[in-house]
Amino acid sequence: MGTKNNRSGGTRGLVVCAVLSVVLFTLSCQSGGEGPLEAARGAFQTVTSPIRVFGSVITAPVRGLGNVFANLTADQATLTELQAEVDELRARNAELEEDAGSAQRLQDLLDLRDNNDLQSVAARIISGSTDSWSSTVTLDKGSSSGLSAGMPVTTSSGVIGQIVSCSATTSTVRLLSDESSSISAMVQSSRAQGMLQGSASGEVRLELVSTGQEVSVGDVVVTSGLGGVFPKGLPVGEVASVTSNPGDLYLDIVVELYADTTRSEEVLVITSITESQRASSEDIAEADAQEHGSSDDEDETTDGDATNDQADGGQAQ
Amino acid sequence: MQVTDRNREARTTVVLAVLCFVLQLTLAPNVGLGNGRANFALVFTACLALFSGGRSPAVAGFVAGLLFDLSSTGPIGLMAFCLTLVGFALGLGARERVVGDLATSVVYASAASLAVSVVYHVAMLLVGQSSSLIDALFLRALPTALLTIVAFLPFAYYFSRVRTHGMGLSGRHASGGLGRPLL
Repeated sequence: MGTKNNRSGGTRGLVVCAVLSVVLFTLSCQSGGEGPLEAARGAFQTVTSPIRVFGSVITAPVRGLGNVFANLTADQATLTELQAEVDELRARNAELEEDAGSAQRLQDLLDLRDNNDLQSVAARIISGSTDSWSSTVTLDKGSSSGLSAGMPVTTSSGVIGQIVSCSATTSTVRLLSDESSSISAMVQSSRAQGMLQGSASGEVRLELVSTGQEVSVGDVVVTSGLGGVFPKGLPVGEVASVTSNPGDLYLDIVVELYADTTRSEEVLVITSITESQRASSEDIAEADAQEHGSSDDEDETTDGDATNDQADGGQAQ
Repeated sequence: MQVTDRNREARTTVVLAVLCFVLQLTLAPNVGLGNGRANFALVFTACLALFSGGRSPAVAGFVAGLLFDLSSTGPIGLMAFCLTLVGFALGLGARERVVGDLATSVVYASAASLAVSVVYHVAMLLVGQSSSLIDALFLRALPTALLTIVAFLPFAYYFSRVRTHGMGLSGRHASGGLGRPLL
């Protein structure tokens, strides 16, 4: 009788534990690297870490014998020598990878300069903003390298902003995401022109684009060349969202910038632009026509030259 | 008499559990055979099942497997499932018949070790934590099974030879297996 009960209890324990195991396994596979199970694992490993450290210390003298297969044909001196060589090569490899990355970024900048026929000076970002109310970066070159306030700055992926002040050896660049930044830009596919405006939240919007224009999510935004500061056609970002509210004159367009200054190190400062890189009279006329068109559509009187007047106006005071 | 024996059994189980737990965290990570590592959770479960039998090995296997899972980076519950089944199977098959028989207990534990290692590593392959069946079987499962068997040997020797004729793990004089009643 006792044996029967014992077996029944054993079977019950088996079923409960097996079901629990399967449930845990399923949950663990579904949750990936997150969730309460992983938290439990983390807690367990934290609690048991002293035991692991203790084990590591006491097994240190015999750890060389640990991997029998790998160590079978090598003596300890050879292994030590190889380990030293591996450490040295690893450090050297990291150094070379860093150099290769830097060379690639500089090559990208050279390609950008050549493709756009830019007169430029290469510089390096050495720090970010030192205060909380402006979005700026500092470059390692200044007026002694021919830089001056108002010059546009770009990375190989896109425009980042404009120099607002220069010392002899450094320059401060106001980023496009800064609230007081405003440059003229256009949607590449539809040629819809507007003002790229930063904000306190860091969100960048393309403003003054009339509701009659065709703008879609994913459209590329480039500099329009209006205002004569930025060369025409430099990539800036792409449209992240477009909202058109009834009764509004302009579209609400959010732009995601291509350049990420937190990851950029080398930049190009465009020192001068050629006549062909400026907006042509046709571009100016088109911008005016867009503005007038939107005014006519709404049957309202607006300042038709608003776009042109404000082009690159928010930068380089 | 029965109460004294149960106390001794519980004490031995606790000492065995603590010993295997510490060995799993200290010795297993630092002593390898290829990619294999000894599984002291399985050693604990096999010792408990082969030398005590009864209903506890399945639950003990589950708890040991769960602790093993928590100490590893694999999915939680897989080793717990394997050791639950192993504990139950060894406990049923070996109850009262294997106590004192070193050779048979080693054969049982070896079969269990091999089965658990293969099932565990194939399951890891299926959930995408391993990419090659050959690697999983020959570079991980087999060395793990082999090391686990080696780790099991001293425990098996103790329980089958020393403990049945000498002092127990808990320091008391012993005259039977882990769970053998003193009637």
